[in-house]
Parts: sequence; structure tokens; C-alpha cells
Amino acid sequence: MLALLQVLLSGLITGSLYGLLALGIVLIYRTTGVLNFAYGALAAASTCFLYILLTGPRLPFWLAVLLSLLFALLLGAVVERAFARPLLAAPILTKAIATLALALVLQTVIQALWPQLTTPVHFPTPFEGHALRLGGFYLSLTDGLVLLITALLLIVLQLFLLRTRLGIAMRATADGLEAARLMGIPVGLIFLLVWMLASLLAAIAGILIAARQTVIDVQFMDPVLLLAFIGAVLGGLDRLEGAVLGGLLVGLAENVLALLLAGHSLGPLDLGNPGIREALIFAGFVLLLLLRPRGLFGGAALRRV
Amino acid sequence: MSDEWQTAPQEAEAHQPRTLLEVQGLTVRFGGLVAVADLDLRVEEGEIFALVGPNGAGKTTVLNCISGFVRPSSGSIRLAGQDLLALGTERRAALGIGRTFQNGQLFSSMTVLENLLVGRHSRLRAGLFQSLLPIGPARREEAAARQRAREVLAWLGLESYADRLVATLPAGLQKLVGVARALAGEPRLLLLDEPAAGVPLREVAALADQLRRWNAELGLTLLLIEHNMEVVQAVAQRICVLNYGRKLAEGEPATVLREPAVLEAYLGREEEIDAREEGEVSDHAAG
Amino acid sequence: MAMKRLVLPLKRSRDSQNAPIEATPLTASGRPERTSGGVRHAWQRATASLLVLIALVLLPSLFDLLFGDSADFQLHRVTLILILAIAALAQNLLTGYAAQPSLGNAAFFGVSAYLLAWLNSDLQQPYWLAVLIALLACALLGLIVGGPALSVSGAHLAIATLGLVVLTGSLLTLWDTSAGRQSYELTALPEALGDDRVLYYLVLTLTALVFFGAFQLLRSRIGRAWIALRDSEVAAAACGVALTRYKLLAFVVSAVLTGLAGVLYATWGTTATASMSSVDQTIAFLTMIVVGGAGSLSGSLLGALFVGLVPLLLGELPDPLTLGPLQLPIATLTTGIYGVLLLLALIFFPGGLSAIFSRGGRLAQGEGGKP
Ligand SMILES: Nc1ncnc2c1ncn2[C@@H]1O[C@H](COP(=O)(O)OP(=O)(O)O)[C@@H](O)[C@H]1O
Ligand SMILES: [Mg+2]
Repeated sequence: MLALLQVLLSGLITGSLYGLLALGIVLIYRTTGVLNFAYGALAAASTCFLYILLTGPRLPFWLAVLLSLLFALLLGAVVERAFARPLLAAPILTKAIATLALALVLQTVIQALWPQLTTPVHFPTPFEGHALRLGGFYLSLTDGLVLLITALLLIVLQLFLLRTRLGIAMRATADGLEAARLMGIPVGLIFLLVWMLASLLAAIAGILIAARQTVIDVQFMDPVLLLAFIGAVLGGLDRLEGAVLGGLLVGLAENVLALLLAGHSLGPLDLGNPGIREALIFAGFVLLLLLRPRGLFGGAALRRV
Repeated sequence: MSDEWQTAPQEAEAHQPRTLLEVQGLTVRFGGLVAVADLDLRVEEGEIFALVGPNGAGKTTVLNCISGFVRPSSGSIRLAGQDLLALGTERRAALGIGRTFQNGQLFSSMTVLENLLVGRHSRLRAGLFQSLLPIGPARREEAAARQRAREVLAWLGLESYADRLVATLPAGLQKLVGVARALAGEPRLLLLDEPAAGVPLREVAALADQLRRWNAELGLTLLLIEHNMEVVQAVAQRICVLNYGRKLAEGEPATVLREPAVLEAYLGREEEIDAREEGEVSDHAAG
Repeated sequence: MAMKRLVLPLKRSRDSQNAPIEATPLTASGRPERTSGGVRHAWQRATASLLVLIALVLLPSLFDLLFGDSADFQLHRVTLILILAIAALAQNLLTGYAAQPSLGNAAFFGVSAYLLAWLNSDLQQPYWLAVLIALLACALLGLIVGGPALSVSGAHLAIATLGLVVLTGSLLTLWDTSAGRQSYELTALPEALGDDRVLYYLVLTLTALVFFGAFQLLRSRIGRAWIALRDSEVAAAACGVALTRYKLLAFVVSAVLTGLAGVLYATWGTTATASMSSVDQTIAFLTMIVVGGAGSLSGSLLGALFVGLVPLLLGELPDPLTLGPLQLPIATLTTGIYGVLLLLALIFFPGGLSAIFSRGGRLAQGEGGKP
């Protein structure tokens, strides 16, 4: 029983990270129509930048975090201006392919600048090795922070999107470009800000994931990204709350499967392998997609012919 | 030319018309909006029937139900007695329903001739493996289809454009290519959605002539939506006026267009409709 | 007032009865512009294709003259380009012509290679039987992937198919690790295929056949149906194109051709690796059709030439390349360059190389999907 609760808790933690990433993915998709397969690379870039700040000039942790978040904002802005903007009117697949290319370019640049990140390195944080005990639960300090930060972030984001003028303008742009334009919203500026915000979210998620894994390399976000995308699609790819719920669901599924499959094997095949888990989640995802093409929480859209 | 198509009655049954298309109790709801309400229509074999009415009256929706893009909420649609609602769009095309679209929907990366060849799709049979070969039945069928498509183009006076990319043609000609594409499939029933909208005036007259000629010489049945009352009067034998999805009146154009209800609902706004005609072509939703 | 105008009979001049519509001035010049798809154009294309084919047939002899002892080695590299061309064509038929935004072809690429390795090396089945089974399996997989693909939107399809590639890659890796190997060696290949020249001519024959078949197909009702559903799905359906069937057919044909490229690739390298089903491989396929030209046969060839040549040219550089403070392994640089060129091509040359080469050719076509 306790084991199950423990699993649910870690499901909640990974799930909230997926949810955060899914949120950024959906935010960009809704406003600019870009399926951002470079989202993992964006997160990795900012996280690698933090790693360099921590290991190179040995800056204090929180100062380094602050700087890398600023870096993330800048990165988002550059990417939007240099590449998302020129492709704004392109078909959806063209944009998706462009983000795949962007991911390659980002990873190449990181490897060129910081070759040490080509192979896995230790990601140092002040929280490593500390643990919290809550009743019968065991919770690493990092995990506690992850829960706290993602929960706070989601609340702040919700308030931002619901209450502030800027947030409302972003949602309006996401709901309909033309209408937003007619209402006098500077959609060009909104695109820029959305990419910056999404890049910030990616950086935060990336740093938290790196802190949990304690080991990173250039590609450390790749396996995570697929699961985040699955979360986004399960959420319907068009609603922000759906994305978070979808991400949570994937995180829970992953951890429950890990518990169920651990120690079992099928002939020479170790079922505890993450590959198997991923495969099962993906199979479930495709099945759900077939049963509910618009995702679990997606709304029904009218098809006009 | 195919047999089923040639059996279209021309003289023999002219006095005792057979019903080709029968629409009964057709109702279409989009969410809360009732786009078509309990509509009955009967189009006789070989006639030219026009559907008129103000914008948003539900005319295109009726055509969409007939060709299978919209599933009606209730009602039935029969072609020569056969229930259409159970069939997919492509099966209906194969049964002989041709269609043009309000906004063209041409295959813009293809030449005019290729557009017509797609229009003949349901009359061609070649399978995957035959199609891979440079000789054989598929190529013979293909050559015949090209020949037939060129004939259709010649008939419409479009033969000199056969190898032009449709995207490079002026809007009026594109409209005609849309008609030619539908005709290339040699339909029994041709659904035309505002064929004259966007076509220069001089060509409109020629188009009306062509429609009558196809109707007279080949026994093609036409169901057209048209805002241009001159065209309607010139070609249609019967018309039906729709307003807010309901039938206002039906009968011969000359009489129907004099009915007070029609005048009030529709014709009183004629000036406005005229003014809007041009814009509609581009901004109305597809088909 | 309104009535009066309405009942006015349509004024029709007598001669309009027979006036051909084309007689009215339609373009500014009043004359139809010359066409791109004319007979002359077709002949030019046929001649060009024939010349390319003859050049490729004579290539080994030319290489003997040019490279002497290393001729076979150079030929081996060209063989790869021809194999890639098949994969590019497969992606192009599916995405460039039939407009299905699928990113999943790399899955078939890896699966067919592993099936070949398993059947031929482990189960000791004859090579060609193994190839045939691998291709049939790809057809089946294409059907299985294509089925769901029809019911979901473009964005969902892109995500799901890319996910499929990642997943296939990790399952193949899992197979490798549980069998205790790095990659799957093809140990029982027919001896003749060990000869670079034989392999070259085999691949050349297959590539030529595949391209010729595709050329025929695209000029048939099937190819036209694909292009039609790309240009306008509603109109295609109204013309009698069974959308579901033709999309599925595109998936199956593309899967089989990718599978063919996969088995040839494995034969060429005498090994099957899990990286054949990876996002990088997907990007390589996409680079070929985007840089070459989506919706163009010659574009597939040009794209393959490009993707095949870049590593060769970069291979001449010292590894790792040092640029000031930067150090880059050539492999990384290669993928990075793909990335940059892909981005540049997408932004500045939506029609790809083929559109640049054939000015006045078909309109530059974006890939499928709607914004
Ligand atoms: N697919 C659809 N979904 C929702 N509403 C639709 C759809 N198609 C048409 N409508 C609505 O139905 C009404 C009738 O439209 P339509 O048939 O296009 O009119 P018409 O062709 O007579 O101008 C309009 O109010 C239109 O907005
Ligand atoms: Mg309409």
C-alpha cells in the first residue's frame, strides 16, 4: 500500500514535469501553429548553460539559475524572430520539420561550444543527497522542490493567463488569430512573448529534470520530450489545463508501469527496461488517440466542408 | 461514352418525366443552427432545376448533403430510387453525381487536362500493378481517358488551355474548368454551386448556353444554385426558393419570382445581393 | 423596380450560341501562356532521365579510369546515394504527393533491416526470401500505421509517427541489448553481394525500376488521385476518389519502398543498427525531400545526392574539426549542417532544388497539412 502511494507520489512528480513541458508545447502550438519538436533542445540548451555557469565560473547556484533563466528568455526571443516568424504562414508539417532541424542545430551548437556535454556529466545542485520524511513517505529534497515549484508555477501561470491583460491577450491570440488582430492585440509581440514564456518554462522543467537525474548530456531531454508530447496530445493539444492533466497522466502511468514490470522478464527480455515502459505507454496512447481522436480532454470541433 | 449515361431519356420519356433526385424531409442542424428545415425536392430526369435564395439560406448545405459532405440530421435522399445516405461521397460520384464548388476547389498544381482526368476517376479502373507498367490495359484506358477529356474541353471551347496549369488561369476560366472537370466524369446529375459567380458577363451568357446544350444534347440533369437571376431565368425550367433553410416557393421561374413571399424575403434585397456577388466567390466556405 | 430588372429576359446575342469561350480575352495579352506540361517538356524529361541512367551505368568504368585502385570504394559510396534515393522517393510519395504529414518512415527503415538480419543471419533463410518477407512485413506495418493515421488530424499524425520512430528505435536497441550485441551483423549475405560492383548494379537496377514505376504511377489514376487529395480533399472526393483507400495505399507503398531501402542499406553496410529508426534518420529523409523538392521525382534524386554527398565532402576535413576555440566531431557537424540547410531550404526555397533547376516547372508545392 505504502509502495503504491510512493509510486503515485513519484508519478505526480514526473507527471508535473511532463505537464509543465506539455503546457509550453500547447502554448506555442495554439498561438503560432508550431509543433515544437525543438522544445526538448531548448530546455537542454538552457540547462546546459546553467551547467556551464556552475562548473566553469563556479557562480553561486541561485545566481546561475537566474542567469540561465534570462538566457532562456533570450533564446526564446531569438528563435521566434529568426525562425518561427519567417515560417508563420507555412503548412503545419513544414513548421514541424523546421523545429526538428532547429533541434539539430541547437544540439550541434551546444556540442561545439561545450564538448564536455557530449557525454553524460554530473549536474551539481545544492539539494543533492538531502531527503525529507513526511509521515511514512520518503521524499528527496529535489523532488519536494519539484513539486513545490511546478505547483507554484502552474498557479502563477493560471493567474497570469486568466487575470493579466497580457495573459488574456495571449489566450485571445491562441483562440483566433484574426479575431485577436481585429481586437487590436499586437499579435506579433504576443508571438514573441509566447516563445519567450515557453522557453522559460522549458528551462525550468529542464533544470528540475536535470536536478532529479543528477546526470545530463546534450540529449538528455529527448526521451522526456516524447512523453511530454504524448501528454500534450492526450490533453487535446488545444487546452492548457488538458496539457497539464495529460502530462500528469503520463507520469503516473510511467511510474505505475515501472512498479508493475520491475523484476519481471520475458525470456531474455527484461521487462523493467524503460524501453518496454515507453512502448506500452505509446501503445496506450495510440489506442486512446484512436478511440478519442481529439484527446481525452480535447473539445469537439466542427469540421467544415 | 458509357451506357448507363446514354440511357438518359431524351425524347421517349419526355412527356412522362421520371424522378432522378428525390429529397424528402431533409433537415440539417449545425449545433443550434437549423441550416435546412424539412425540405422536399424533386428533380426530374433531364431537367434544369435551380435553387435560389439569399446568402446563408442553406443552398450549399443541400448540395453538400446530396454529394455526401454533410450528414443530414434527418430526411432521405434518393437518386433514381437508390438511397444515397448510406453511401460515401466517392460511391455517389460513381453513381453519376457530378459537382462544382462555390470557390472552385480546383487541383491547382495540375494542368487543366489533368483536372479533367481526375474528374473521370470513377470511370477508370486501372489498379496499382497495372499502373506501374508503361504498356497494357492501364495505358490504353489512360489514352482513351485523355482523348475523352480533350473532347470535353473542345466542347467547352477550352482545348487550347488543356496543358495550362490551372493556377495560372484567370478566375473566370477556372470556374469553367470546374464545370469541365465535373462533366468529364459524365454524370447523370450535375450539381453546380454558383457557376456564374465571378465569371465575366460575356462568358456568363456562353456558360448558360453550354449548360442548356449539355442538358438538351446529352440529357444531363442539372441542379444549380445561382444568384444571377438572368442565368436562372434563361436556363432553369423549375426553381425552388429557400429562405432560412425553408422552402418558400417552387415552380416555374417566371411565376415563382412574382410571388409576394419570395419578393419580400429575397427579391427586395436584390440590390444588396448583386453587390455581394463578387466577394462571395473568394470568402465563402468551401462547397 | 427590382422586379422589372429581374423579369427582363437575358439579353443574348445570336452569335453567342456558338462563340467559343476561349475567344474572349482572358489574360492581359489575350493569348494563353505557354504550358509547362507540354509534349516537348515530356521529351526533354525522358531524354534527361535516359542520360542520367546511361551515365550511372557507365559510372564504374569511369571510376576505374579516375580512381584506379580505390574505384570500388568510391562506387560503394555512390551505391549509398542510390539507396537513399529510394527512401527519399518513398517519403516524397507519402508527404510530397499524397500530403500525409507522416514522420514515421524511419520506423520501416529499421524494421525491415532487422527482419532481414534476423531471417537471413539467424534463421538461415535465403536472402531474397528474407527480403520479400521484410517487404511484406513493411506493407502490413504501413497498413497498421496508416489506418489510425486516417482518423487523426495532421498535428496528431506528425506526433504519433515521430513517436513511432523513437519507439521502434528503442525496441530495436532493446533487442540488441538483450541479445548482447551492439548492432545486428548480416553474416550470411550472398557472396556475390560482397562485390561492390555487383551490389552497385543491383541497387542501380532496383532504383531505376522504382523510379520508373513511380513515374508511371504518378501519371496514372492512382498518382493523380494522390495529388488531387493533396490539392483539395473535398474536390477529390466529389470526383470519386475514395480518400481512405488512397491514403492507405500511399502509406503502404511508402512503407514498402522504405523497407526496400532499409534492406538494401543493411546489405550495403552488412549490418542493421537501431539508429536506422531514429529521429536523426527521419530528419535525413525529410532533408532529402525538402532540399530536393517535395512533390518532385527528380527532387528525390537530388535530395539523396545532397544528403549522400555532404558527409563525403565533410569527410575530407580533419576529425574533429577545430575552429578557433570550437571543436566539432565531423559526425556532429554533418547533422548540424543538415539542420541548418534544412532550415534555410524551408524558409527560403520552399520548392527545393528541383524547383531551382526547373524554372517554369510545376508550382513550388508546400507539403501537406493545413495551418
Ligand atoms: N459545416 C458547417 N458547420 C456549421 N455551420 C455551417 C456549416 N455549413 C454551413 N453552415 C451554416 O449553415 C447556413 C447555411 O449555409 P450555406 O448552405 O452555405 O448557405 P448558402 O449556400 O445558401 O449561402 C449558414 O448559416 C452557414 O454558416
Ligand atoms: Mg453557398
